[in-house]
Amino acid sequence: MDFDPMVMDAEPQGPSVKITDATPHSVDFTLQSVDLSFANSLRRTILAEVPTMAIDLVEIEANTSVLADEFITHRLGLIPLNSKNVDDVVYSRDCDCEQYCELCSVTLTLHARCTGDEIMRVYARDLVVDPLRQNQWVGNPVITDPEGLGTVICKLRKGQELRMKCIAKKGIAKEHAKWAPTSAVGFEYDPQNKLRHTDLWYEESAEKEWPKSKYADWEEPPQEGEPFDYDAVPETFYFEVESVGNLEPDAIIQQGIKVLQQKLAAVIRDLADGEGQTNGINGHGYDAPRSPEDVGMDGAWGQDQGYTTPFGNGNGTQEPQQPWGGSATPYGATPYGQQNGWANGR
Amino acid sequence: MNAPDRFELFLLGDGEKKCSEAPDTRTANSSVFTFNKEDHTLANILRAHLLKNSHVIFAGYKIPHPLFATFELRVQTDGSLTPKEALVNTCRTLVGDLEILSREFTKEFELRKMVMGDAAATENK
Repeated sequence: MDFDPMVMDAEPQGPSVKITDATPHSVDFTLQSVDLSFANSLRRTILAEVPTMAIDLVEIEANTSVLADEFITHRLGLIPLNSKNVDDVVYSRDCDCEQYCELCSVTLTLHARCTGDEIMRVYARDLVVDPLRQNQWVGNPVITDPEGLGTVICKLRKGQELRMKCIAKKGIAKEHAKWAPTSAVGFEYDPQNKLRHTDLWYEESAEKEWPKSKYADWEEPPQEGEPFDYDAVPETFYFEVESVGNLEPDAIIQQGIKVLQQKLAAVIRDLADGEGQTNGINGHGYDAPRSPEDVGMDGAWGQDQGYTTPFGNGNGTQEPQQPWGGSATPYGATPYGQQNGWANGR
Repeated sequence: MNAPDRFELFLLGDGEKKCSEAPDTRTANSSVFTFNKEDHTLANILRAHLLKNSHVIFAGYKIPHPLFATFELRVQTDGSLTPKEALVNTCRTLVGDLEILSREFTKEFELRKMVMGDAAATENK
């Protein structure tokens, strides 16, 4: 339990997983031998950055229903679409096509007209998927109810009609929640609250008034009068990943891991790339004062003139820079003349 | 109406780099890394894992403005390695750890599938 700065050396085997429950649409697992930041980053990527398919563009040919076009469009967007092997589909913005094509999208058509006297419901199953697509799963509406209907899109009265072409694209939930692979990700640690990361409000006794977590029995309850362990860190994390149905729960986690790896790889690439040039021109240390030529020649540093904010020359936004930002002095003192942003900002 | 496009949260702009380094001239062996189109997801994990390296004296990050998807990570080392080396090493270790996690998860999940038996397996299709 001791916090050891060399934890990395102490556990060469790395993170470990124990799956406690799995259903076709959810998986519960325990993550061990990782730290809080690692578990939390995994949670965040799963929630927001796992790519899926969702209807993004709708061409409406006819809509005589009571719902407005954009209302139906929004509803269509929220229908979960199967996203198995979504890696086969490219992002529309990366595709060479004009607007969309079969490489970067899946077309679904909806044509419904009420002819009877009864009120008719239009369901997700009524979406017809164009066979021109990257693989056989991508773009199929997710239908999980026993009747095989899927979600209700709209209700139609006699004579009303819906006719539209929907373009489903690949995206991530950071852009719009319709691309979310999960409806919820449960994340819990320290069910006994030994670390006191939560302060439980109570009238008489927190133990009596607060329900116990289902994971509470899995960890040792604190001993009576046990001293607080200041060095303790959370070590076991209980995840409950619930899929919307577009991806299988294990795929969501694998994709989440992959996305996080790609993020890290991008950092390595950017930093390691510059390494050759930077070392070549610049020698080594950053602490040695560098001549203006050096700065000019070196792409990596030259780009960022000391502490300019990436979002335009400082006005109010400069303020939070201060804690580290004595930097105006060594730089602004103009070895190379241009006092961008800094001097003006004051 | 004036809301920025949501994709600006994760798509690098033209000529924008994911990560760039600037030396912190006030102290030795310290650098500030500016990350574009990233958030706490990456920032916090890097910060926490840099601190596990005993040669890293300081690692901290801030998001200068909540409306802009950037963060700044300041790293100071004891001089036996440069902040950039420390950061790259950390990234490499993390990629390795994630790889292990991925393998472990696959293993456990396959095991689980077998235990669940045919009923669940067919349902899983």
